[in-house]
Amino acid sequence: MTSRREALKIIGAVGVTCAFPFSANELYGQHVHPPTQGEPQDVKPGAPFEPQFFSPAQLLVVSRLADLIIPTTDTPGAVAAGVPQYIDLVVHGDPKLQATFQAGLQGLDKTSQTRFGSAFLQLTEAQQVEILTSLTQATDEKKPPTENAPQGDVSFFRAIKGLTADGYYTSRIGLMQELGYNGDGVLAAFPVFTIPEH
Amino acid sequence: VAPIFDVCIVGSGAGGGTLAAHLAQQGVQVAVVEGGPPVNTRTDFNTHALPFNFANRHIPTMRGGKYGMTSERARGVGGKTMLWNAVALRLSHRDFKGYTIDGAGADWPLDYPDMAPYYERIEREIGVCGNRDGLEDLPDGIYLDPPPLKSGDLLLQRDAKRLGIPIIHTRKATLTRPSATRLACHYCGNCMAGCDVAAKYNSVDAHMAPAMKTGRLAIFPNSVVREVMVSNENRATGVRFIHRETGAEGEIRARCVAVACACVQSVGLLLMSESRLYPQGLANSSGQLGRNYIPHFNSGVEGFLADLIGRQVVNDEGFIDHAYLPSYMHLQKRDYARSFGVQIYTGIRRTTGWAREVPGFGADYKLRVKQRFPAYVTFQCFGEMIPNPQSYIQLDKTEKDEFGLYKVKAIAVQEENERKVYEAMTKAAVDILQKSGGEILSISNFDVPTFNHALGGCRMGSDPRTSVLNSYCRSHDVPNLYVVDGSVFPSASEKNPTLTIMALAARAADNISDRFKKGEMA
Repeated sequence: MTSRREALKIIGAVGVTCAFPFSANELYGQHVHPPTQGEPQDVKPGAPFEPQFFSPAQLLVVSRLADLIIPTTDTPGAVAAGVPQYIDLVVHGDPKLQATFQAGLQGLDKTSQTRFGSAFLQLTEAQQVEILTSLTQATDEKKPPTENAPQGDVSFFRAIKGLTADGYYTSRIGLMQELGYNGDGVLAAFPVFTIPEH
Repeated sequence: VAPIFDVCIVGSGAGGGTLAAHLAQQGVQVAVVEGGPPVNTRTDFNTHALPFNFANRHIPTMRGGKYGMTSERARGVGGKTMLWNAVALRLSHRDFKGYTIDGAGADWPLDYPDMAPYYERIEREIGVCGNRDGLEDLPDGIYLDPPPLKSGDLLLQRDAKRLGIPIIHTRKATLTRPSATRLACHYCGNCMAGCDVAAKYNSVDAHMAPAMKTGRLAIFPNSVVREVMVSNENRATGVRFIHRETGAEGEIRARCVAVACACVQSVGLLLMSESRLYPQGLANSSGQLGRNYIPHFNSGVEGFLADLIGRQVVNDEGFIDHAYLPSYMHLQKRDYARSFGVQIYTGIRRTTGWAREVPGFGADYKLRVKQRFPAYVTFQCFGEMIPNPQSYIQLDKTEKDEFGLYKVKAIAVQEENERKVYEAMTKAAVDILQKSGGEILSISNFDVPTFNHALGGCRMGSDPRTSVLNSYCRSHDVPNLYVVDGSVFPSASEKNPTLTIMALAARAADNISDRFKKGEMA
């Protein structure tokens, strides 16, 4: 390893040769991670929590919607990943979202009544999916609001889908288990990739 | 009696930190005054945190609720170099003489040969990795080997080549081999959260800490400068500051003052420093201070690379962006002045904000997101803005901050040339993605402007009537006052500015120490 004195000497020798004050790779082993001070907030699947914003009845609807948006498949879904708790936290701190959610939860039940004669939670899964299909068409295909997808419901669905995606893919289950993120490790060298025809 | 320093530098980032180190190494007694606290890269950043370590999934910049790098002002010793992305590009002759070449904006009062030795000196000091690509508009420097391109970069490079568009390895001030004092990059992919091994350049570990050993550099943290003092004899005599924690006022006296607290804040500080000689703000006899604000304007294109959808996830987060689309527009027919560059982000990331925009819901949606995770790409395009009268930096005299200082506002308005550049750079990104058969997720909108890299407002020039500084970053008005940061740029170039700020600081340091030797700084 180059000593500091030598290193400074080389730095000072500007313009002579392309001599870097850089040695070989023997310093890699010195990288030790200090512990992270943020408290882990991993939510245990099924762990109950005290909502700050939603009423218990609202929380049931929010949880149902979150699990319809990101269901359990071969990996756990939104509720198991603690998404309702995340949504409650974000909405609690955002007056604009509070209004969207209050109006949207009411609107959703109204639409459910009009279309299928019951509140959203009482519908069959097929009926719930049908309601979300109307809403997702309005958001994804930018269609104008309709009777089955009134503006309030559409804004609400956009908001809860966004928060569900945010919450799920920033959870340990979503990021590590579902997506398979493995980027935070220490690499001694970046891997060399090749592609065909290059 | 307070000690009198040779030079008092306000700010400790790329400009201030480089200037301080160079001056101290050349025998000059330096005081660096910084508004924020000392920052230890080893222990103060959340480099290796993941979003689920925090209830709101937002990773705070500083650990343990510490004050510091929490805002655009990036208060903390090291300034924005702690959180930058480390892209380190040389400006070219075309950038320095843009007005001569295409008639828009203003020329710099210096040219590439004036800067080349300083670029080289800085590159040798800090370590920049990259390739020597032999491009006319992006001069090559002295480089460490760059990390390999990611597979997504290679695919885009192949498809861009078919369109006649170059994509090269980016050039970053990040060590790919260890130096005597800093470790090499370990590719954890969270550079902009603060690098915990200082593989990425920051002005503390790479510049000021070594210079401390000369015994000629003193750092005054937590000292928010409110005024640069000037005597009736038209000499800068030091600064007045407010201690961030105690609120006590203090002064530091020096034979020379350099303002380097980032573009907008530097202009704000000079405007706040009103005096009998300079009622409109210090060094502003030209009335140019605050004018010619020319930040980079951005466009963005997001999408997915067809060849990578559904592929196995590999740890290719790297040091974020490995590929760059350099200026090539001057080689073809076009209807706008200046040029653009594009930072290309491929590979996996710990943030997946794009998932909310993926269509659908349910198991199909979940699968769609998973398949696209290794295929996500962002093109972040940077355009050069031409100065215009609607774009300026000003004190907002209706509002004061926590220290009782006027807030500074910076306003940028895009005009016709910006629209044309915006359309061209967005089209280039879309064309490349479409050529590769990729899916486009989103394209930014010109009418919802985003800016990056604050530049201009205190420009250098050869005519004291139309500029604030000379080519050594020295005030035309006050002979011992310097400004060393992005505010000095008379034209922005499309290239990331930090390497140029450091080279300008090294050049200013030579000028200052020469003038001390000649006795001009008594």
